[in-house]
Amino acid sequence: MSDTVAEPFLKGNTGRNTRGILRLSILVLIAAAAIASRLFSVILDPWFNFRATKYLVSHGFYDFWDWFDDRTWHPLGRVTGGTLYPGLMVTSGAIYHALRALTIPVDIRNICVLLAPGFSGLTAFATYLFTNEMSTSPSAGLLAAAFMGIAPGYISRSVAGSYDNEAIAIFLLVYTFYLWIKAVKLGSAMWGALCALFYGYMVSAWGGYVFITNLIPLHVFVLVCMGRFSPRIYVSYCTWYSLGTLASMQIPFVGFLPIRSSEHMSALGVFGLLQLVGFVEFVRSGVPSKQFATLLRGFVLLVFTVAFGGLVLLTVSGVIAPWTGRFYSLWDTGYAKIHIPIIASVSEHQPTAWPAYFFDLNLLIWLFPAGVYLCFQSLADEQVFVVVYSILASYFSGVMVRLMLTLTPIVCVAAALALSSLLDTYLSVKSPEVPVEAGPDGTNGTPTPSKKAAKQDGLRSMRLPIVGIYTTFSKVSVVSALTAYLLIFVLHCTWVTSNAYSSPSVVLASRMPDGSQHIIDDYREAYQWLRQNTKDDAKIMSWWDYGYQIGGMADRPTLVDNNTWNNTHIATVGKAMSSREEVSYEIMRQHEVDYVLVVFGGLLGYSGDDINKFLWMVRIAEGIWPEEVKERDFFTDRGEYRVDDGATETMKNSLMYKMSYYNYCTLFPPGQCQDRVRGVKLPDVGPTLNTVEEAFTSENWIIRIFKVKDLDNAGRDHASASSFDRGNKKKKTIKKRGPKVLRVE
Amino acid sequence: MRLLQSILLSLLPAAAFAAKKPAADKFEQFHTKSLSSTPLKLDDSIYPKLTAAPRDYSALVLLTALEDRFGCALCREFQPEWELLSKSWTKGDKKGDSRLLFGTLDFLDGKNTFQSLGLQTAPVLLLFQPTTGPHAVTDNGPLRFDFTSGPQSAEQVHSWIARHLQDRPHPQINRPINWVRGIAVTTTVLGTITFLTVAWPYILPVFQNRNVWAAISLIAILLFTSGHMFNHIRKVPYVTSDGKGGVSYFAGGFSNQNGLETQILAAIYGLLSFATISLALKVPRMTDPKTQQIAVIIWGGVIFVMYSFLLSIFRMKNGGYPFWLPPFA
Repeated sequence: MSDTVAEPFLKGNTGRNTRGILRLSILVLIAAAAIASRLFSVILDPWFNFRATKYLVSHGFYDFWDWFDDRTWHPLGRVTGGTLYPGLMVTSGAIYHALRALTIPVDIRNICVLLAPGFSGLTAFATYLFTNEMSTSPSAGLLAAAFMGIAPGYISRSVAGSYDNEAIAIFLLVYTFYLWIKAVKLGSAMWGALCALFYGYMVSAWGGYVFITNLIPLHVFVLVCMGRFSPRIYVSYCTWYSLGTLASMQIPFVGFLPIRSSEHMSALGVFGLLQLVGFVEFVRSGVPSKQFATLLRGFVLLVFTVAFGGLVLLTVSGVIAPWTGRFYSLWDTGYAKIHIPIIASVSEHQPTAWPAYFFDLNLLIWLFPAGVYLCFQSLADEQVFVVVYSILASYFSGVMVRLMLTLTPIVCVAAALALSSLLDTYLSVKSPEVPVEAGPDGTNGTPTPSKKAAKQDGLRSMRLPIVGIYTTFSKVSVVSALTAYLLIFVLHCTWVTSNAYSSPSVVLASRMPDGSQHIIDDYREAYQWLRQNTKDDAKIMSWWDYGYQIGGMADRPTLVDNNTWNNTHIATVGKAMSSREEVSYEIMRQHEVDYVLVVFGGLLGYSGDDINKFLWMVRIAEGIWPEEVKERDFFTDRGEYRVDDGATETMKNSLMYKMSYYNYCTLFPPGQCQDRVRGVKLPDVGPTLNTVEEAFTSENWIIRIFKVKDLDNAGRDHASASSFDRGNKKKKTIKKRGPKVLRVE
Repeated sequence: MRLLQSILLSLLPAAAFAAKKPAADKFEQFHTKSLSSTPLKLDDSIYPKLTAAPRDYSALVLLTALEDRFGCALCREFQPEWELLSKSWTKGDKKGDSRLLFGTLDFLDGKNTFQSLGLQTAPVLLLFQPTTGPHAVTDNGPLRFDFTSGPQSAEQVHSWIARHLQDRPHPQINRPINWVRGIAVTTTVLGTITFLTVAWPYILPVFQNRNVWAAISLIAILLFTSGHMFNHIRKVPYVTSDGKGGVSYFAGGFSNQNGLETQILAAIYGLLSFATISLALKVPRMTDPKTQQIAVIIWGGVIFVMYSFLLSIFRMKNGGYPFWLPPFA
């Protein structure tokens, strides 16, 4: 890509400068493209982070650290400072104060909205640096940066307004890896320390830091196994590990986990291993006797066994925390489904089907293996890193959709390596001369590496020396095909971004029959209603998915929210939703619930509604109260999950079902009442509600809000009170006597 | 049913005196029997005896169909667990303090019982609570254990029983140590070590061969990126029927896939990568211009056609996808 036409100012000293300027301007353009492609539509989304940032900016850092939030997790409250990753808020707070210091008046909201696109530009730059460490070709880095800038797999989490931890975390991830490679290459304590610094930043920003914590030790371990232990590795790893661990322990949420939880044990283990290997190498260089070497080997084995036994002992005795569920579910894929429904219920934690890969990466997905293969060419320490990273990240992304995000950078790098090697070969103007007598050593072309070096243990395809491409036709055809593929890639990215990833979850976009876009804004309508029509401290009960939104947009206390640390409390809400009204009413009274919010998509055909999530509520509730809530009861005898006439009694009597379908059939002429999500006909007589009353239903019926009734004035129970209101005659309750039992004795 | 109840009621005064003593004996009788062989093997005549209404003990009855021709895989899978549970319970409770009896009724011996209970499926596990005595419950229908979520372990059933039979002893389950497996594992480990020591000089070159590692890495990556883990976790079918008697290789829907589908995808990805590698590494090393020209055309063509095919498959999965390349428009 670089040495195309031999122009005078592309040679010598001026040439270097020109290339530098070109490279810089290309990088700036890539960053600009990366930012621009994320601005399709702008709506601030994760409201909790925004609320926390506002708190940080207005109250200062130390108050933020000690923040006790009494408006979530009612009645428990949440020690927010100790249960979040503060990196994101602190970053935007710092930017805010920096801009203020420069006397640029800016609203914190704008910073939050533009943080993710801004950091994606930095990510592209970090990818450029990282790739340049891998390859000598000058085009690889630029290609990788361009891929990273527009790959949908990364855009999905970094569109403008998606103010989430991942927004800055991916930049930190790539940059930490770049610093690590630099440290390994140079064996420098300074780069190692810088790497540790950014690792600490990463820990403060995203729970996915565990990926780094395990990848770097794995890289070192593989290098040691390949017999590539060197003082460089020793210095860089020990610097990184000791400083990085100290840095990560400064985050209250992480605390002492790095020395206690099993997820961090591999890093500790490799640290110990390096000390051992380092010691042995040191002694061996001093005492070269053969018997002594055998003795040493025995000693190493002994230490290793003792350390391993100790680790097992500590785990069994419970000093070291057992594997956390989330981590365990990554390895034993059936685990989460059985033991922790709350993890399995999150849609991001589902396994990835192949269309998702193609959707997020397009042609990169098949350039990726080719790039990894190229890394085997000159398998230096940094290329080993690419290989290890590729395999690990592909595995994890297969298990959990959300980890596609960690795979994307390495796919971009590897694909860029493959593509740049293709382009470098086929874009070269020089053609080798046709061998006259077909001499077997066609060394009359472009530079040839020495045959001996390649022969030793290189790849099979590398045994022969490079000749070059003879005909212009070959060059033109390959290059034009590649250009076409790249154009498709760009179109694909634009299409994906504008169609799938730029509609925030609070606003639903749909297409009208004539192709125009129709915006469905029920969520915001409902939150606005809550904000204007309810008391300031009215407690809202809803499923946890909507907790942050209610807290942020409606500014009302919620029972549970997206931070799922308390399973029991979530199960309580699940139980209230899935039990009979009388049971639910007790729970709601105990938790001082004023309003209940449900999401219902039956009218519009919106499939992400609560009835479709309902089984998860049941499952989570069943985990705590197996006697009172049973998943089996929600399935018919034939094992179907039905909502129509054939629904089970438990289903029909559950609070969730009643609230969802309350009065729904009055919308339709008799006999045509239909649920458009489940595609079934509903009975004409809808459910009746006694303990709650309808307060608000949004335009498209997506959000329904019900007010919990107060205790009855006359001391009746709610069922008979509302039955009285409906004008039913009070039924003569005939005293039911049990079967006659004869008294014996 | 009503009639039966009233008859029973009318009989009660007579039965009450008569039944009280023998009921205790009935438990003793069954208990001594179960000490020698548990679970009790029931048939159409013993089953009503065991579960007859005035009882001061609990009974856990498994209704199953073990015979091969019924094809009840769940029954056969559960059988060893069931035997383990009843054996360890009875062993841990020789005196009969928990007053729980275990019985198995196979379909072959109890066709009438199955019919009268209206059972269409097996296995069914019923727990009959005592109707008299200190732990009597008013609801005299049996409790039914759920087999909906697949085969259950003895521990799960144990905890279910324990929940229902409160303040009575719950003997622990003693899984016998699996000697065969232990020995097998030890032998395998020792065998592998021996083999490795002997064959080390021959294995080492393979182990250190870069091509082998490259192949392993690429295969792993292709497997994972073509959605193998999804198959593994969701246990998707290999192919599905298309409703017209044939099979469809591709599952409908964006977040769904078949087993064969992922293999086709892995093959496509593999072919595309291989063609790319060939173009990048092999072709420029060819010394003969003609061969090189042909190789470029072949590999370039393979990439073009395969990529077009890939796009067309993706358009099948994702309806509104607008991009395509010529051959498979």
